Amino acid sequence: MKSGFMELEEKLRILSDAAKYDVACTSSGVDRAGKKGALGNSMAAGICHSFASDGRCISLLKILLTNHCIYDCKYCLNRRSNDVKRAAFTPDEICTLTIEFYRRNYIEGLFLSSGVFRSPTYTMEQIYEVVYKLRRNHRFRGYIHVKAIPGADDSVLDEVGLLADRMSVNLELPTADSLRALAPHKSRDSILKPMSRIRKNIVASRQSMGQTVRLERAWGVKGLSNGLFGEEEYRRRLAGEEGIGLEDGGSGRKDGVGTKVLEPWGDRAAPARGSGILRPPERGLDIRTFAPAGQSTQMIVGATPESDYHMMMVTQALYRQYDLKRVFFSAYIGLNDDSALPAPGSPPPLLREHRLYQADWLLRFYGFRAEELLSEDRPNFNVLLDPKCDWAVRHLEYFPVEIMSAGYEMLLRVPGIGAKSARRIYNARRFGSLDFSDLKRMGVVLKRAHYFITLRGRQMFPVCLEENRITAGLIADNRKKNWELSHSECYRQLNLFDDMKLQAAPEAEDFHKAAGGQM
Amino acid sequence: MRAFLCEDSLEGIFTGIYDAWASGLGHGQVRLLMKDQYVPEFFVEYEEVAPDGEKSEKVARSIQRKISGEAFRVVCRAAFSSKEERADVIYRFLIEGFRHGGVVLRLLQNPAVAGVFALSRKVANEAHQYLEFIRFEQLKNGVLFAAISPKSRVIMLVAPHFADRFPGENWVIYDDVREEAAIHVAGGEWITAKIPGVQVDTFLEVYGASDGYEDLWKTFFHTIGIKERENPKCQRNFLPVWYRKHMTEFKDGR
Repeated sequence: MKSGFMELEEKLRILSDAAKYDVACTSSGVDRAGKKGALGNSMAAGICHSFASDGRCISLLKILLTNHCIYDCKYCLNRRSNDVKRAAFTPDEICTLTIEFYRRNYIEGLFLSSGVFRSPTYTMEQIYEVVYKLRRNHRFRGYIHVKAIPGADDSVLDEVGLLADRMSVNLELPTADSLRALAPHKSRDSILKPMSRIRKNIVASRQSMGQTVRLERAWGVKGLSNGLFGEEEYRRRLAGEEGIGLEDGGSGRKDGVGTKVLEPWGDRAAPARGSGILRPPERGLDIRTFAPAGQSTQMIVGATPESDYHMMMVTQALYRQYDLKRVFFSAYIGLNDDSALPAPGSPPPLLREHRLYQADWLLRFYGFRAEELLSEDRPNFNVLLDPKCDWAVRHLEYFPVEIMSAGYEMLLRVPGIGAKSARRIYNARRFGSLDFSDLKRMGVVLKRAHYFITLRGRQMFPVCLEENRITAGLIADNRKKNWELSHSECYRQLNLFDDMKLQAAPEAEDFHKAAGGQM
Repeated sequence: MRAFLCEDSLEGIFTGIYDAWASGLGHGQVRLLMKDQYVPEFFVEYEEVAPDGEKSEKVARSIQRKISGEAFRVVCRAAFSSKEERADVIYRFLIEGFRHGGVVLRLLQNPAVAGVFALSRKVANEAHQYLEFIRFEQLKNGVLFAAISPKSRVIMLVAPHFADRFPGENWVIYDDVREEAAIHVAGGEWITAKIPGVQVDTFLEVYGASDGYEDLWKTFFHTIGIKERENPKCQRNFLPVWYRKHMTEFKDGR
């Protein structure tokens, strides 16, 4: 007994260590009530069970089935040419670990990925065995996230999807060229193929249950006229008008999954309430929807020279074409010594990853589009300002926004107002007027918002609506400085370089200077 | 000014509300205080309220009928808070609630509504975090046992979740601050009971045992963090230190 545990512990150490670079540790998207005689349930909001020393949430038991791999991807720790300890779980070991951890409320479910052992199809079959045993033998109703191995046979993929809650295929690198350079065994096509297969299956399963073709999104998101998930967007896609797609670089691939499968009636047939399982079509094994929590993907940030603009455009294309639930970003951590990669030991680009996530939120919840946030000329995010503030100071023509009368979409675009507070404002203002302290209680971050809003025609402080001043104030992020800024007069000396635009965009140092009042 | 001293329970608070309302002194002339948390003042008459099932049921029913079910849930959550002003906050909210009806929950600019909303949100957030951070240990007799030290009385809010999640398990969630437990019998319902801490200690002495899975979990917890990204501040932000007292992965150093 004891030695069995020792061996299991060693395997767990090796295979969780190998899995830790995968990011998608969320347990959201499915509401599934518990059941007599079974174990577990699932909450659409997702539950994090712990937070590791790096501050990332631990929601699922994130492990690899094995770290043996026949591939030699340059960025990966488990590549064939690396000399690392190898191990493999048996399906039963994974089941026991999952069930026992789950019973103690350590985890929300299982996140199962794997190195490619023997062949993609063989590996996928092993994964299927684990998931099958969990669902059937252990009557497990918790959350299961499974990685689809590119290159595996479609039939295995289809079966796994019927048992799992979420599937994901890692895109890894945003362009086909980078992929060719760093992952010689993978190609853009081989990654997009399972992705569109999963998408097709999800659509078919949702339609068969009378749900909307597209996945459920957060409250109000589908109503945003400019958003990626809005009606407008949907109609545009039906009409066959394509935005910038994934067909960059050499591969030149057109993907028609979305348009072909979608039928005009599909989205209107019977609007589903909430997400998750409506009814079990087959007795016995009652989880028969295909990946009800949708699919996600992951991209590595900073291993290749792509700009933020490129990353965001790819992200946007993924949301539009594959209706992904999430796109994750993973700051590259130098593990392997390779001339094609940043040197090992170079710090991971955490701030860049953070900015990408912020922008991803703007796409998914705030009705922004990638091309509003970045452009070919400004391909990277501002280091000092978050993307929303950055957008706002560059688009002062929309501001100030009158809180009492502005539309919901405009409220969402104000820095410091989030989806929840926008909704609260929207509800409360119908019954009476608000003041600034009310806004604060509703969760508005006035520190950022006050530059951009008026309440019944009045600003909170007499701030001049002027780009440099607001930028400086936002960066200073400091009450005293803000006070000084708002109480100083609104003129300053004419500056040839700034006002006549004789210089390129301000450098990071200039912002520091502006914030420090030296400019 | 008359102050009504309520006992710390839903029933106690609702009875207090009933009595204060029925006293006919006018809303400006009454206050509700918690019996074991108030500070006496001059020029205030104090009146102790004995919990009364019938009165509290009347209050609960009127809230559900005349305001809304959602308002009732908000009020209950607020009552589970440990803030001393909770009874009075609920009383002020109900004045507004009976005036406006179901829409009252949207009127966040109203201080009475904002007050109860803030309390309720705080309790709901804490309860959700306990769904995350409760750790069961398997005792020798097969019972899953979890101890917690919450700030609010979250036990009533977390138990339904675990009853749904583990219908086939015998489990106990023990609030060691209020010495109160939620007990679930396999295949059955859950109940709450007051259990003195001493009794729980002896129970644990007899049946307590650590099995290998606790160590496996610790191993997993410590390997899954990425060294190059270490960020204790972020970790504390999501998982405040005071929650860690009973959490398996933070026990015995490491």
